[in-house]
Amino acid sequence: MNFDARKYVIIVFIITVGIIYIVRLFFMQVIDDSWTLRAQEIAEKRKQIVPPRGAIFDRNGVKVVSNRTYYNLMFIEDEVKNLDTAAFAQVLGWSKDSIAIRFKEIIKEQGTYRDKNDNYKTKSNYQSDRPYAFIKEMTLEEIATIAPHLDKFPGFYEEITSMRSYTYPNGANIFGYLSEVNEEEINEDHFYRRSDNIGRAGIERFYEKELRGQKGIRYIVTSARNNELKPYMDGIYDTIAKQGPNFKLGIDILLQEYGEKLMNGKRGCIVAIEPSTGEILALVSSPTYDPNLMVGNRNIAKNYPKLILDKDMPLFPRPLAAEYPPGSIFKLLQSLIGLQEGVITPNSGFPCNKSMVGCHNHPSAGNLSDAIKFSCNPYYYAVTRRILQQGKKTSVFADAEIGLNKWYQYMMSFGLGQKFDADATGLRPGLIPNSAYYDKWYGHLRWAFSTIRSISIGQGEVKLTPLQMANIACIIANKGWYYTPHFVKSIGQKGSLLQFRIKHRSMIDSKHFDPIIEGMRRVVYVNGGTGGKAKINNEEKIIVCGKTGTVQNPQGEDHAVFTCFAPMDKPKIAIAVFIENAGFGGTWAAPTASLMIEKYLTRKVKDKEKEKRILEASFKK
Amino acid sequence: MRQGEKLTTNLDWPLLITYFLFLIMGMATVYSTSLDPDHPNLFDYSQKYGKQVVWLGVSLFLGLMVFLIDSTIYRKFAVPIYISTLVLLVIVLFMPPINGARAWLQIGGFGIQPAEFAKTGTALLLARYISSLNIKQQNLNSVLVANAIMFVPMILILLQPDAGTFVVFTSFLFVMYREGLTYDPLVLKLVNMIPGVKFKQTWVGTHFIPIMFAIVFLCIVTLLLSNNIITFNFLPGVEIPGFFGVILSLVVFCLIAFLFLRFISTKRERRRISTVIIIAFVLSASIASSVNYLFQGLKKHQKDRIELFLGLREDPNGEDYNRNRAMAAVGSGGLAGKGYTNASVATIESNHVPESETDFIFCPFAEEWGFIGTFILIGMYMFMFLRIIMIAERQRSRFNRVYAYSVVMILFYHLAVNIGMNIGFAPVIGIPLPFFSYGGSSMMSFSMLMFILLKLDSQRSHVLQ
Ligand SMILES: [Zn+2]
Repeated sequence: MNFDARKYVIIVFIITVGIIYIVRLFFMQVIDDSWTLRAQEIAEKRKQIVPPRGAIFDRNGVKVVSNRTYYNLMFIEDEVKNLDTAAFAQVLGWSKDSIAIRFKEIIKEQGTYRDKNDNYKTKSNYQSDRPYAFIKEMTLEEIATIAPHLDKFPGFYEEITSMRSYTYPNGANIFGYLSEVNEEEINEDHFYRRSDNIGRAGIERFYEKELRGQKGIRYIVTSARNNELKPYMDGIYDTIAKQGPNFKLGIDILLQEYGEKLMNGKRGCIVAIEPSTGEILALVSSPTYDPNLMVGNRNIAKNYPKLILDKDMPLFPRPLAAEYPPGSIFKLLQSLIGLQEGVITPNSGFPCNKSMVGCHNHPSAGNLSDAIKFSCNPYYYAVTRRILQQGKKTSVFADAEIGLNKWYQYMMSFGLGQKFDADATGLRPGLIPNSAYYDKWYGHLRWAFSTIRSISIGQGEVKLTPLQMANIACIIANKGWYYTPHFVKSIGQKGSLLQFRIKHRSMIDSKHFDPIIEGMRRVVYVNGGTGGKAKINNEEKIIVCGKTGTVQNPQGEDHAVFTCFAPMDKPKIAIAVFIENAGFGGTWAAPTASLMIEKYLTRKVKDKEKEKRILEASFKK
Repeated sequence: MRQGEKLTTNLDWPLLITYFLFLIMGMATVYSTSLDPDHPNLFDYSQKYGKQVVWLGVSLFLGLMVFLIDSTIYRKFAVPIYISTLVLLVIVLFMPPINGARAWLQIGGFGIQPAEFAKTGTALLLARYISSLNIKQQNLNSVLVANAIMFVPMILILLQPDAGTFVVFTSFLFVMYREGLTYDPLVLKLVNMIPGVKFKQTWVGTHFIPIMFAIVFLCIVTLLLSNNIITFNFLPGVEIPGFFGVILSLVVFCLIAFLFLRFISTKRERRRISTVIIIAFVLSASIASSVNYLFQGLKKHQKDRIELFLGLREDPNGEDYNRNRAMAAVGSGGLAGKGYTNASVATIESNHVPESETDFIFCPFAEEWGFIGTFILIGMYMFMFLRIIMIAERQRSRFNRVYAYSVVMILFYHLAVNIGMNIGFAPVIGIPLPFFSYGGSSMMSFSMLMFILLKLDSQRSHVLQ
């Protein structure tokens, strides 16, 4: 018998196995990705590098918000060996018991989950092979006393973290603050990991996506004992963390600082805007707080409850969110609408007839500019009646409906009754009533001018935010247009957002502004004007055009308001000052505005007496 | 050695070069997986690669010695060599166990595994015995002696215990089959004990070895599939119960075999082929059914153990954990690999895959070189095996041929089991990858196997045996 053919059995067997193995390897290595994922799970650690947030500069290049290095004392339980609690407590300056308490607290902070694979038992998210912060956000001085001893406590190490630092204790309501992300935010945006910070208010919140920069990821090969060995594949997949771009604001931090100083002891706001650009120069909300109080979770835990419970509401951004009746500054707008509608001329005169509404004692205004100078209430009743009741319908009610809706359109074109598309959070729209609004109150065709006449002088239903009041001054300074007020001039190499480069035009032709501006000049510079205290150093070097307002307050003392711009010929700054319970606008609000203008335009204030008077005033009860 | 003949005359260069390529690749992989950045010198004796360099040197020196000795010595001294390996296998059983096995013999500072050398001894003696047989006149005695040569060292190795090497020894069955060694005398003896039966020859006895392998293979496949439901990505909704799948595969396999054999056979043989295939099908189907039935009837813990052994169940801390990590390392290599020294799972330092320099050395290689590397590696092994078979078939001496087949089957077994456990095809039984794995004993014993083969081949024209 010849067995030579049997060699083929063996050859076929060997080759078959070889082919099967090669096919199997092709599937495992080339086709199926799950083994690669499994290998990553086993041997790699993704380490996120959180970059410092973008720094923020004021309009003059002063760094106003920067980053400072803080230190977390981290630990990994599995690597902690024979912890000498007494010695450790001594190094930290803690009591011995508080060490154990802190460990328990950390485990508790991680929360729990229900294990699907183990009868839905409640289990802690805490994992003994993961790093946790034993003490968060220590300053260099604090860590310096601990760091030299750390080698005696294996498993503990320091980790660098970056937090905000504010050069000036001002602008808290502009910048906002940061705090740790919550579970919902982590789920919503995969950028965040537990214990990352997120902007909570102001610019920090509005520009969160830009300011936070780009996280870097390092892939690290780890051993079975979870030691970090080396960068994965020499780091070719690593990405570098990128700090957020530098922000340049329209804010003048020295003006902001001065404004906050002036408003000390008062409730209210100052809003200053550059009319030609819409850039907010200062936005004072009083009372305010030092933004450094809200840096880091330790500070927030300590200070936030105090701030939120303060009855003067320092966390409330009044200039953006407080809605006040505008008072007499509203007369500027009524004048403009009257002229545009052709129901009055610059030479229209109305008697100061106090039968319907009170007025102070002054000669009747024979023209529009004087009416503004005197801030004559009956005059504006007459003007507003002409705007609302143009006689287009025989029914006085139907006529008022048409008139009011026309008037509403004008008001909207001034940016009122709506939220600005500004780079701030918490903005409020104010309120401009239209026919639908009054129909709800009185019923359709159940109201006419006489029903709603208090809107003529900026009382009644009308409400504006201080930002809108300042923007009115901008529109007048620009003779008819404005840019949406905004904080940020530029982000990195890019300019401001597109929405801040679109000119909004009011419905008023620019020719109608001259008598109004003249009236505002007279308010300050002509005898009998209500805002004489807005003169800068009692001279006419810088002409201030303004309008006083006194907002009736049924709950207490009237609020003082003043809106103005300067200089008259080439406006550089428009301001609204609103001081709660300060009474007549010309007494307190006007001089405050003039000090701000002087500070901004001349960089110093000469009239120390005026300044002292404002600084010392207090209207808080 | 004849006068005037050079040492390299008739040397089979392709095989020798492949062997050296494996040595270089193996050395490079050992270096990569156990690299200590503080001691990057390849010749640093404190490191594994430094030691492996020494083993390589010793192996090549032994290879040179083999070459200087006339090849007739292996035939002459086959018995003493075999007996001395057996003595070592006995002595090692009285040594203190290392990792639960009495496999190591400490000589000076070195550890030696006699089991590795027993393969050479057994191969030589088996070659000598079979070459002395008259194949046409086999009797019960010849079957028993041939099997005893194989089984005595196997049993000693099982006592250590070393399951891997034990399995490798079954490779000699293929060698016996190739040489026409038959189990027929044994089968006849048993069958003819039945009154009234008097066979002269049985088909089962003649093809006993491949039939045994086919049955074992069938059993394992049945066990693997019987609890599964087979689905196909390209046929959504189609679900085939595992056992039905086994029977279906058998039907398809038999049909293909039938058509193929019909195509190459003469008319006269066709009837016989049909009968054989029908009998084979019925037998296989009944074996598969009974295995399936027996398995379903097992108690749970018995089932668990079998499933664990077959890798059907995850054992988080045991061998399956190792296999899972090994497979992750291999699978993560991708097409082109992570690059030399860039393995992240299979390195000694990371220690995710244990024994990544010895039994799991395929892992770092596959992880670093990807499918391109593993394809080339398996291709090279296939080339080496076919080359050895070619060498075997050109021998005029049966001793040489039996020895050559022993070498190729031992190497093939090592490859199949070692890579098989890295890709989930074989249970985790630790045996080294030839010429790759770190370790002196395996390196020396594989080199000896290879050099003796090369020497025998180079002098194939000298002797007619
Ligand atoms: Zn009047």
